[in-house]
Amino acid sequence: MSVSAEAVLRLAQLAELAVADAELPALTAQLDRIVTFVAQLATVPNPSEHAAGPPEPAPVALRPDVVRPAGLARDISAFAPEVVDGFFVVPRLGAMDGS
Amino acid sequence: MTAVTAARATGQALERAEAAGLNATLAWSNTALEAEAARVDSMPVPGPLHRLPVAIKDNICTAEQPTTCGSKLLEGYHSPYSATVVDRLRAAGAMVACKTNLDEFGMGSSTEHSAFGRVKHPLAPERVPGGSSGGSAVLVAVGAVPMALGSDTGGSVRQPAAFCGVVGVKPTYGRVSRYGLVAFGSSLDCVSVFGKTVSDAESLLWAVAGHDWRDATSVDRPIPDRAPARTTLEGVTIGVPVEYFPADLDAGIGAGCQAVIARMRELGARVVQVLLPHTRYAVPTYYIVAPAEAASNLARFDGGRYGARRGPHADIAALYQGTRGHGFGAEVRRRILTGTYVLSAGYAEAYYVKAQSVRARIAADFTAVFAGGVDCLFTPTTPTPAFAAGDKIQDPVAMYLADIFVCPASLAGIPALSLPIGRTKGLPIGGQLMAPMFEEASMLGIAKLLERSLDGSAEVVR
Repeated sequence: MSVSAEAVLRLAQLAELAVADAELPALTAQLDRIVTFVAQLATVPNPSEHAAGPPEPAPVALRPDVVRPAGLARDISAFAPEVVDGFFVVPRLGAMDGS
Repeated sequence: MTAVTAARATGQALERAEAAGLNATLAWSNTALEAEAARVDSMPVPGPLHRLPVAIKDNICTAEQPTTCGSKLLEGYHSPYSATVVDRLRAAGAMVACKTNLDEFGMGSSTEHSAFGRVKHPLAPERVPGGSSGGSAVLVAVGAVPMALGSDTGGSVRQPAAFCGVVGVKPTYGRVSRYGLVAFGSSLDCVSVFGKTVSDAESLLWAVAGHDWRDATSVDRPIPDRAPARTTLEGVTIGVPVEYFPADLDAGIGAGCQAVIARMRELGARVVQVLLPHTRYAVPTYYIVAPAEAASNLARFDGGRYGARRGPHADIAALYQGTRGHGFGAEVRRRILTGTYVLSAGYAEAYYVKAQSVRARIAADFTAVFAGGVDCLFTPTTPTPAFAAGDKIQDPVAMYLADIFVCPASLAGIPALSLPIGRTKGLPIGGQLMAPMFEEASMLGIAKLLERSLDGSAEVVR
C-alpha cells in the first residue's frame, strides 16, 4: 500500500478534517486505490529538453481601480450583528452561541 | 399566455416531478415563481428567453433562494448576491424555476453524492441520471423546464445529458462568467447549459455568455450569431478519434455512434480517423488537477463564515475539523484528502506538476488534430448507458472512469456538447461533438443538423 493510515491522519490534519477511527480503514483503502490509479502518470515520459512546455497562460488584464457597485441583495449591515463606524462588530471567538 | 400562466404550469410540472420521487429539485416555491412571473410581465421589452422557466443547479448562487451545493455544510446558506449568469438570464426575460439537486459541490458522476439524497433516472428509477448536474438534466428530460443551467468541471453536464437523453453544452473555458458559481476546480469549471433541443441550449448559452469584469478568467470576445440552419455537411471534416472506441465500449453505444458516422457521411461530411494519444491519461490527470484545486477552494468552508458549524467554539482547530469532518460528505472528503496528498511536500512534483505537464499534452493533441483540418470531433459521450444506483458508489475509481470521454475536453478548455443519438435497451445514448476553442457556433450548427437527421429516441439497430 502506498498510503498508510498514519498518512491519512496526517493529510486529514493538514486539510482540517476530522476522521473517525471507525472510518479510517475504509478511507485508507480508498485513498490508496485513488493514489495508485493517478500514479500511472509516472509512466508518461517527460518531454525532451527541446519539446515545447505547457503553454503560457494569457496575461491577466488589470481592470481600472475604481469603486463599482457590489450588487449585494442585502444591505452590508446585514452581514454582522452590529456595525460601528463602518466596522463589523462580532463576538470574540469562543463567546459565540453554540450550534 | 402571460408569464403568470407559464409560472403556474411550471409549478405544476415541478410538483409532478416531486410526486414521482425523482428528487431533482431543491429550493423552489410557487410564491417565488409568481414573483418571477410578475417581474417578467412588467419588462417593457421581451427578451430572447421571454417567459421561459430555467432550472438552476444549486452550486450557482441566487440571492432569493438558499444555495446549498448539495452539502450539509452549506445548509441554510443564503448568498448575498446572484451569479452573473442568473442576472443575465433574468435580464433576458427568463424565470428562475428552481434550484436543482447535484453531487455535493459538483463532485460526482451519478448525483448519488448529495446530502439531500440521490436523484433518480427519469426513465429507470433504479438507475442514476449521471452527474454532477443530475437534477438539472432530469428536469429537462421530464419536460418540467425547457432548459437548465449546470456546471461542467470534468463532464458534469455532458454525461448526465447523455444518460437522460437531453442536450448538454459545455462552452469554451472563459466564455461564460464563473462569478457566483461556487468554485470547485477553478481552471476547469464552466457554467454550462442543458436544453430539450440544441436550439434551446443555444438560446440559453448565448443569453448568459460574455465578458464579466467580476471574473478575471472570463474572455472578452463578441458573442457569435446563432448557428445557421445547415442542410448538408459538405465541406465539413469530422474527426473520429480511435481512442474513444475501445474494445469494451458498450455494444449499443458503439452501434449508435457508427450509425451517426454513416449518417454524417451521407450528409456530405468527410469523416477521418484521428489519434489523440494522451486521451488515456485524461482521467488520472483530471483526478490530480481537480482535487488539488478543490482542496484549495474548499478550504474556505471552515465553520467560521458559511453555513452550519460543529465543534467547540473556544478551540479554532477543533471547530474547523469538526465542521468540515461532519459537514462534507464522503466523496468531497476523499477529494480534499487526495488534493492535499498531491500538493503535499515531497509529492507535488511527482503528481501535481506532472499532471500539469500531461494536461498540456492532452491539449496539444487536440490542437494538432484541429490544425490538421478537422472541424469537429465525434465520439460517444459515455462508455455505458446509465448505470444502476449503488453500482459504483463503493469504488471511487470506477465512478471516475464514467467520465473517461468527457474530461479530456475539460482539461483542454475546448467546447463540447452531448446530443441524444438513440437508445439502447430503452436507455438514452449520447454522442459528443468537440470543437476548437471559441468555435461553439459551428459545433452547434452541426449538432442541429444531426438532431434533425436522427431520431434521438429510437432504439439503435445492432
